[in-house]
Amino acid sequence: MADEIAPFGDSALLVTLGRAADRSLTVRARAIAEALGAAGASTAGLGRPIPAHASVLVPFDPLVLDREAAVGFVRRAMETAPDGAGAEPDLARTASAPSAVEIPVRYGGDDGPDLDAVAGHCGLRPEDVIELHAGARYEVLFLGFAPGFAYLGGLPVALSTPRRASPRERVPAGSVAIAGEQSAVYPQAMPGGWNLIGRTDTVLFDPARTEPSLLSPGAAVRFVPAR
Amino acid sequence: MILDVLDGGLLTTVQDAGRPGWTHLGVPVSGAADPWSRAVANLLAGNDEGEAALEMTLIGPRLRARTGGLIGLAGADLGGRVVGGRRLGVGRSHWVAAGDEIAFEGAGAGRRPGRGARCYLAVAGGIDVPVVLGSRSTCLAGGFGGLDGRAIRPGDQIAKTDAPDRGGPAEAELVWPAVNPNGTGRDDGPVALRVLPSPDDGADALADGSWRVAAAADRVGVRLEGRALPAELGGETLTHGVPWGAIQVPPDGRPIILSADHQTTGGYRVAAVVISADLPLVGQLRPGDEVRFVVTDLAEADRAVRARHEALAAGAAALREAAGWDDLVASAGG
Repeated sequence: MADEIAPFGDSALLVTLGRAADRSLTVRARAIAEALGAAGASTAGLGRPIPAHASVLVPFDPLVLDREAAVGFVRRAMETAPDGAGAEPDLARTASAPSAVEIPVRYGGDDGPDLDAVAGHCGLRPEDVIELHAGARYEVLFLGFAPGFAYLGGLPVALSTPRRASPRERVPAGSVAIAGEQSAVYPQAMPGGWNLIGRTDTVLFDPARTEPSLLSPGAAVRFVPAR
Repeated sequence: MILDVLDGGLLTTVQDAGRPGWTHLGVPVSGAADPWSRAVANLLAGNDEGEAALEMTLIGPRLRARTGGLIGLAGADLGGRVVGGRRLGVGRSHWVAAGDEIAFEGAGAGRRPGRGARCYLAVAGGIDVPVVLGSRSTCLAGGFGGLDGRAIRPGDQIAKTDAPDRGGPAEAELVWPAVNPNGTGRDDGPVALRVLPSPDDGADALADGSWRVAAAADRVGVRLEGRALPAELGGETLTHGVPWGAIQVPPDGRPIILSADHQTTGGYRVAAVVISADLPLVGQLRPGDEVRFVVTDLAEADRAVRARHEALAAGAAALREAAGWDDLVASAGG
């Protein structure tokens, strides 16, 4: 489908690149957001863009920046941002690069109360789930849901498991989880419906750090069994 | 001035103009749920309209002034008074003397009971809490900003910043002179919210009839009940960034209006988006309120946000004149 730029309320534009989760669209959304972010740093009224699976939300202040001018910035960013399709085969290579963030995980037990359920759903033994999960290389698709909550692509298809039928009222901070075709780490204690397979002591989000979020869009991630 | 917290009230947090620069890392924007009233409270205290102020919810705190100072109050009338003494009306500034105990017992104790959920208390000079990621606003989800990322509680101290305040007119009360051209949400009858159609369908169905605010109404979002939208207008969609005011429709068809602490991304269909000028009304909704939606267009949305800015600027100009605050201005984006 053609790219689409549409007003989303009076103070934002939504750039829609497609209707399905597709890594090349996610990479392109990220590139557009980065190009816009660079433009926004020097443009009054242009807010911080939010990339997602196949879209970019571009906030702007209509008192400061004309809507047509905002659309113009988006068009220019879309022209300069690299086409995501070219980045398709890069996942394994970038993820295995030395810059991959390593997150130590205690799998199973009280730390991962849903490990057995995930194993049951996937027709695997719990130790197979651990091996597959820790053997894969992940990529931060985008962040959302909570401060520092990164949606990680690259989960082995064999581990794909739907969300729990009823969400937990409180998921402990550091919980390593699976839902659908993604993995994630809960940065703070909060309600959540993902399947919890382990837990890490790594601090995912600390507003006092220069880079508050351990994981940023596009980063490569590996999970390392801690026991 | 320094205020000792004796009782925190239902949910009283420090909020300023918000933290818009970190949404790409999942950090909600936060800030006052009713930015108009936060701006008015600040201007009444001689502050920049985007300064940090206390946002009280339904039942406010009890505070004791250790030192005296000027405060500005705006938003819902939560029955503010000096204990054993005078009432502290909204849309006014008040001189609070050292030793005064002030209390906000709840909307039922106000002059016009029953409407509005949030009241803002600004302290001349602003509230001194650390700036975290560019803002003093409390991020309840992340547990940072404001006072240790939480609501105020007994034993806390609310202090003004080191910045010199304007030494406002002691004993004098300033009255906010301008009307919000977009309404206050505290009049009788259903609250009318103007909405823009979203890229998903559903705006007309949303506007066809009224809704009731459910008990689940907080800084993250306001749940509506009383009826449900047809299944095809709700449900899950590919997760994307969502703006403040987006009206999400979960699979049960009962819409949620996203408010100041909303998550940066969402995975439900969006039926419509409340115009920026009417977001202060969303911040004043309380459980049981009747809400209806009116579909409008971008031209009216832009006119309304401009009118709001002009009304704030006019109010600031009148206060400047009345109090001799030469450099008091309402900045853009209020």
